[in-house]
Order: sequence, then C-alpha cells, then structure tokens
Amino acid sequence: MSAADVPLPDPGEREITYVAAFIEAVKLEMAADPDVFIAGEDVGAHGGVFHTFDGVQTQFGERRAVDTPISEQAIIGLGIGAAVTGLRPIVDLMFMDFVLVAADQIANQAAKLKYMFGGQAKLPLTITTVGGAGLSAAAQHSQSLEALFCHIPGIKVVFPSNPYDVKGLMAASVREDNPVLFVLHKRMLGQRGAVPVERYEIPLGQARISRPGSDVTLVSWGKTAADSLVAAEQLAGEGIDVEVVDLRTLSPLDIGTVVESVRRTNRVVVAHEAVRFGGFGAEVAAQIQEEAFDYLDAPVGRVAAPFSPVPFTPALETRYVPDPARIAAGVRAAVARPLLGR
Amino acid sequence: MAAVGVIVNPWAGKDLRRLHAPTGHTPDAAKVGILRRVVIAALDAGASAVLVADDVSRIAARAVHGIDGAALVEGPGTGSALDTRRAATSLHDAGCRPIVVLGGDGTCRDAAMGAPDALLLAVSTGTNNVFPRFVDGTSAGTAAGLVAGGLVPWEAVSARAKQIHVEVVDGHASHHDIALVDVGLIDAARTGARAVLRASSVRAVVAAMATPASTGLSAVAGRVAPVRRGDDGGVLVTLDGSDRLVRVPLVPGTVDDLAVADVVRLADGQAVVWTGPGVLAYDGERDRVLSRTATVTVSVRRDGPWVLDVERTLACAVRRRLFDRPAAVAPLAKEGIDD
Amino acid sequence: MELTDEQLLAMHRSMIRIRLFEETAGKVMETGKMPGFLHLYVGQEAVAVGVCEALRVDDYITSTHRGHGHLVAKGGDLRRMMAELMGKATGYCGGKGGSMHINDLSLGMLGANGIVGAGAPIAVGAGFRNKYLGTDQVSVAFFGDASTNIGAFHEAANMACALHLPVVFVCEHNMYGEYTPTNKAMVIADIVDRAAGYGMPGVIVDGMDVVAVHEAATEAVARARRGEGPSLVECKTYRYFNHHGIQNLGLKYRPDDEVLAWKERDPIFTFEAKLIDTGVASRELLDATWAEIHAAIDEALQFADDSPFPAEDQMLAGVYS
Repeated sequence: MSAADVPLPDPGEREITYVAAFIEAVKLEMAADPDVFIAGEDVGAHGGVFHTFDGVQTQFGERRAVDTPISEQAIIGLGIGAAVTGLRPIVDLMFMDFVLVAADQIANQAAKLKYMFGGQAKLPLTITTVGGAGLSAAAQHSQSLEALFCHIPGIKVVFPSNPYDVKGLMAASVREDNPVLFVLHKRMLGQRGAVPVERYEIPLGQARISRPGSDVTLVSWGKTAADSLVAAEQLAGEGIDVEVVDLRTLSPLDIGTVVESVRRTNRVVVAHEAVRFGGFGAEVAAQIQEEAFDYLDAPVGRVAAPFSPVPFTPALETRYVPDPARIAAGVRAAVARPLLGR
Repeated sequence: MAAVGVIVNPWAGKDLRRLHAPTGHTPDAAKVGILRRVVIAALDAGASAVLVADDVSRIAARAVHGIDGAALVEGPGTGSALDTRRAATSLHDAGCRPIVVLGGDGTCRDAAMGAPDALLLAVSTGTNNVFPRFVDGTSAGTAAGLVAGGLVPWEAVSARAKQIHVEVVDGHASHHDIALVDVGLIDAARTGARAVLRASSVRAVVAAMATPASTGLSAVAGRVAPVRRGDDGGVLVTLDGSDRLVRVPLVPGTVDDLAVADVVRLADGQAVVWTGPGVLAYDGERDRVLSRTATVTVSVRRDGPWVLDVERTLACAVRRRLFDRPAAVAPLAKEGIDD
Repeated sequence: MELTDEQLLAMHRSMIRIRLFEETAGKVMETGKMPGFLHLYVGQEAVAVGVCEALRVDDYITSTHRGHGHLVAKGGDLRRMMAELMGKATGYCGGKGGSMHINDLSLGMLGANGIVGAGAPIAVGAGFRNKYLGTDQVSVAFFGDASTNIGAFHEAANMACALHLPVVFVCEHNMYGEYTPTNKAMVIADIVDRAAGYGMPGVIVDGMDVVAVHEAATEAVARARRGEGPSLVECKTYRYFNHHGIQNLGLKYRPDDEVLAWKERDPIFTFEAKLIDTGVASRELLDATWAEIHAAIDEALQFADDSPFPAEDQMLAGVYS
C-alpha cells in the first residue's frame, strides 16, 4: 500500500505549535531510522536559531545532531555525499535567503545527481530552511524564494501552512528518495494547531482544500494559505463563499485539485508572499488557463508582494506582505468582474 | 663586486614526511618573509647588491619586490633540484660571496653540487636541517652583507665543510655523487616519493655530521657515535637486526627502533664499500637505484663548500663597532679576528 | 609497503587504459561523432592511478570535469564509458550525463562534475557517512589547482577538518585553470600552503611519478583510515592537451617548449623505463600490454558505435526516483 492510500489520522484534541510539530517529526524519523541525522549551523547545542531543532541533540547526541561551520555549500554537499552513499540526512540552512549561497550544490548537484547517474542513485536528502518576512529581518533574511527551486527539475519543494501538515509532510520528506526543500515560515513557528501524537505521512504532491466554497477558488501555500483562511472568513460575511486550496507541496504541483476546484467556482485567485513578477503564482495561473480556460469567468487573479526587496521598517514591511485584507481585496476583484459576453 | 647571492628552494619543507609525522610545513609566505629579511639586512650591512635566483614559485620575485639593490637572476625553471644547482653555479660565477641558501639538507647538497667551492650561509627551511642553521633571516642577511662588503673577512669566520663522496659502479655506468650530511643504503627498489620513512629499510649509514639532536638518517649515527661539524672524518653505522636497539627520529616527530650491528669511526678519506641492490639516499632523499651488481665506495673528506658562521661574523662586527653610527669602519686589524 | 611487481604492472596497465581511452575519445570527437565537451586527462595519468591504487573498491572518490581518468583508475568499464561519451543508451548514465557526469556508484565513483570545485563538498559528505557509520572507508576528492580559488573548496576543506572526517584532498596541479595560467590566478605557487590554514597536513609529490603518488596517497589514506583526519596531497602534473579537445601545441596561452619539457617526463614512458631497468618487465611484455589495451579500446568503441541512442521516452526517466 502506497503512502497515498493510507488514511490520514484525525487531528485529535492535542494542540501544539508549528515548530513543535516539526521537531516532533524530526525526532520520530531519527528514532525510527539510525541513518537519519541533522546537520547545519547552530542546530546542535543551540537547537537552531529558530529553535527548529530544540532538544534533538539532547536526545540523539552530537553524532546525530551535528553543528557545522557557517558553510552553506559544504552543508548541502555534506548532505549530498552522505545521501548518495546511503544515509538519510536532514541538513538545515538557517534562513531561506541562504539557499542562494548554496545554490550550486542544491540546483546543479543535488537536483541533477540522480539524472546524471542514469537514474541509478537515490538521494534521500531533506533540506530544511525558514523563509518569509514579518520580523523586520530586512532584505537578506526575509525572502520567499520557493519559485527558484520549483524551476529546477529533480528537487521537490514543500511549504506547509499549519502544524498538522508540518508534521506529516516532514515525515514524508525524510522518507522521500529525492531531495526535498522543506520550507518553514518564520512567522508561523508559534502558531498552534491540532496534531496527532503518532507518526503519519502526508504524501508529497497533494494539495488540500482547507476550506470548501462555491464562489471563487483561492490558491495559496505557506503562511499566505493560513492568511487566506482568515480572508475567506471575512469574505463569508460579505456573502462570498471562498474555496481555499492549500498546495502544501509546490513541486510536484497538484494542479488537478486546483483545476477541479476552478471548474466548480469559475473564478480563481492565487496568493503568495513572494514577489508577484516571475512568482510561482504565474505558473499556477498559466496551468489553470491551460486546463480550465473555458471554465473561467474572470482572469486568474494574483495577490503577491511588490517587485522590491523586503523592506526593513515595519511601516513598509506590513504593506509589503500580502495580509488577509489584501488577499480579500484580490478575491473581491475577481468576483466583481461581470460576465461579459455571456 | 660585493654581492650576496640568495637561493630559495620552493619545495623544501613540503614533502611526504608531513603525512607520516607531525613535521613542520614551511609555506611560501614564510620563505618570502625570510628571504626579504635576508635581502634588506644584507644591503644594509654592506652588500652592494643582492642577486636572488628566480624560482618557479616566484618566492624570490615576491620577496625582492620594490627593493633597490636586489636583482633576480633567471634560472632554468625546471621546478626540480636542477634549479638550485644551476643557481649556485651562476651566483658563484657572478662573484657572490656568500650565497645564502634557504632550504634543508637536501637543498644545501644541491647548492654544493652546483658550486663546490662556494661560500654558503644556509638557513633552515627544510625537513631535516642538520647542515643549515636555525637563524633569523635578518641575522643571516646582516652576516652575509658584512662579509660580501669586505667589512668582515670571510676567511676568519668560515670553515670548509666535510663532504661525503660516493663512487658508484653499476654495470657499464659509473657515477660520482656527493652528500653533505649522510648517505644511506636503503632496502628499496625505487626512489618513489624520495623520503626514507621505514626504519627497517635502512641497511647502513655513513654520516659526516651527526649529533644526538639530529633528525633523519644522520640521527642513526648521532645517537650511537656523534661526529661534529668540526671533527674530521665520519662514522659508519651498519644495521642488520642484531640485539642493540637504538631509538632514532628517522623523520622529525617519529621515533623508531633501529637495530645497530656495527659502528665504525671513519678517518678522513677512509673508504667504505657497499654493494647493491638497494637505493642510495643522499641527505635524506632516496636518489640512486642500485642493481644487484652495483658497487659503491663511500668516503668522508673535508673538501665540501665553505660555510659562513653567522654568530662569529656578527660578534666580529660588534668588536669592530661596525654597527655604530657613524660607522667606525676602522681598518681591519688582524689581531681583532681571533674567534 | 614496497610495491609488488603485480601492483606495478597493474598501475602501468591502468595508466595505459586511461591514455588510450582518452586519445581514442579525442580522435572520435574530431570526426564529429562525439557530441559536447571533452576534457582529456592525458599527461595526468599517474595521479589517478597512483591514488586509486591506494584505495579499496568501497572507498569513495569525487571527480572533476576532467574525470575519465579517475573512473578508469577506479575500475570503470571502458565500454560503458565510451558509450556514455557518445550519448548512447548503454552508457554509464544512459547517455544523459556525458563526459562531465560520468560515474559508477558501484565503484564508489560519485561522479565527474561540470562545476569546478563542486565535488569536494560531496566528498566531505561521503567522508561524513564513513565516520557516522564507523567504517574505515575513506573518501577522496580529486580537484584541480584552479578549483582551490572557489568557495566550495574552502568550505569543504574547512568542514572536513572541523568535523575530523576521513577525507583525502588530492590536488592535480596542472598549472592552468582552463586557459589561464594558475600563477595569474593566485599569488601562492603551492596549493599545500593552503592546507595549514585549515589545520591539515599537506604534501607535494611529483605527479608524473606514479610510484611517488602512490606512496603519498598510501600515507594519506592510511592516516584517514586510522581516524587521524583529512590531509592534502598536491600532485605537480601537466595536461598535454588543451583544456577542451586534443590540440596540443600552438596554443596562445602556453608555450610549446613547456609542453615538450613536460612530455619528457611522461608518466608512462618514464615508468616503463624504470620497470625495464629494475627487471620488473621486459619491453616485449609492456608492448603486449599496449596491444591488448588497444584491442580493448577498439572493442569499447565498437560497442559504443553499435549501441542505440536512448529513446525519447527516456527524457524524464531518472529526474526523480
């Protein structure tokens, strides 16, 4: 039975944070498989600057929770070399912005290795990182760069929006035999949600309808997917019934769930935190028009950040990141468009 | 001409022995610094010019950059021992007295091969440093400049070094080789990476210089029958697994048991005869492969290069107040040079 | 520790396998039958062979864009190699990797690499794996002199030392980074001078002398196996051909007499002279080896020629497992 056939557990009563769900997943995978280890800057004794690995070294020791130098290329290289020779590494890049420091190792090495090996090799490598704006961390510590890696064949990209998904997607990512870029959002780390105690996997490449609705489809991921639910509740008060699709995994993209929704609602908005120009929303929009052109009553709307680096001052940063109000405004615009020519 | 010559061996202090033992590494940056100190001090002390042999690693070029009075002398640039030999010849022929050599025992040997009558001032930057002295470049340069400039007469502060002569007859070929410190007969078939690492491979050693503080093959003799720089003759140690075991630092940072069979003092010119097969190691490096029929005759004689004594030179300069300003530069009196 | 005659002859054979494979590949490229770039290893054979002879099959290596020699020395299959270079389905990578991505996981050869300097971090990862699992395997990173100016090399060298991993860094100092003399790209002349900066020993060895390389590699590998950490072996060597292709003399960026001087020190011919001098082999025996490998290369070329190109439906195969 494949992972896709396993029914997901009920969330249950217990509520934990987004970061706690992540740590729980890491620890469960490490406990289950001696080949799983973590390595990265400050992940050992300190537990990660965002506490994403709190207690891992305490539980598993220095051998399996390795503090590395500040050397992003070598951190990814360490993961690649260990993965292709049989281990199942979790390597951490402290901030998502630092993927660019390691871009060669991620995009030219990890993503292409299996193909270059004629498909013979496995590369069970999970690269974890923390992205997104909202902490006045400024232009080099706040970006959402997921689109860059969705453009690279050979690596999967995961960006969960809630604790339940974090735990299940992380378990699946670690068990994945392909490299995975697993992105946490820094403003979501303390968000609480119901999470089962037991281990479970959410298969990669499956979107989720996080709120059913009939008037318009709102596609998103990461923190923006959580904000989309807030926007949807606001819009419900205005009589607009929004269906929210949380992609969860961006690559491979579950366009089927999106298209199926759009065919019912006939209107769609894609919202994300990354800049609009060349953003992953453009790919989603393009595929929607390819697959559901005749079902659309309005152009595919996009809500995203302006084409600038992330500003430092809260006065601008709060206007930069799409919030529920801006997402709602985008949805209203899509819904307001009259049905011309029908 | 009152010129000082300088030769630097770029690869001294970088060989295989660093993997085998905690032996020091001498990076180019250190050699550049030593060489530059030599040049500056030599010009200050009285040399009219410093001629520095160019090298494949451009250590010399970097060291003399921007210094008036220093000039590079082109060499063959082979990146091998040949560069040191040729440099010694051309600097000696150009009238450089002394020639400062930056390297270890092997480098000094190459310099002596290139210029058998040269006056050498050897500064340690090698692996085994029995022949050269541990001295700062500034002091070495000062002494060199004083002698080159005629302020201190070289005869008073120099001595002729011993040399080990090796006559090899192997089939139709014959060779005359020299070494300054030690010659070893090694149980090996190839020169390989040159260093002698295995204690058990050493069959016999002739040393011209061997103190208990030596490292390398010379240490084999240094720890059973020391022979000083000033003593005539040498010592022969034969090893064959008898019951006298001696602790010997064959490579700096290692200590092995060597089984000493026989120790013989060698008078000046006294010949020792060995036969192949094996490899002859000269001043620490496997060099010449011997066939089964090869015959080797080894002897120690005091006909090596002249060696300048830095401390005696500087002491002499102090007595003559050569460091005072204005410089005393009193005419040299023979009675002042008694040390 | 002294090499046996069998080992010496095996190294001789391995160097000839590289030489003839490369020369043949170069000729085929000239005919237009071989697509893409071809960075030939001729001149540097003693390095790959001297090092790989000091390794076990289960030791790992990472390679460079000039990587055929490393795979041959690790025991690579000439037929699958030639087929890969020609883009055929029977090649090591199913024709989808080509010269710059040739590899054989079963031989611990973790890939040639099109990105200068990128192999070293991966070798560090393999070294980490060996230490993590408590095996005595080592990993070797082959890299060129020019790649030591790249950040990835510095990160890898430092991390291997910081984590005390069984990694041997083997620098093939061939004096040129593509078409630029190394002495224009760095002030220092010896890559080993960098080793001390990371806290590992570094040694220089004559990269044209297979026995010397083997001795140094044996020491470095033994050290790593004993858990004494990384080291760097710098092999002074020379690539006979142009950065890409088979042009040899008449290049704008290097003098012909330099090429000829290095060829005087040819790693195979000087080694053969020593084998004969020391009675290990006769000229006839060595000639027979050349003839035998000539035939094997011809056979590999025929195999590659006869092999089909991959079908279009193979385009996406292997992107993901």
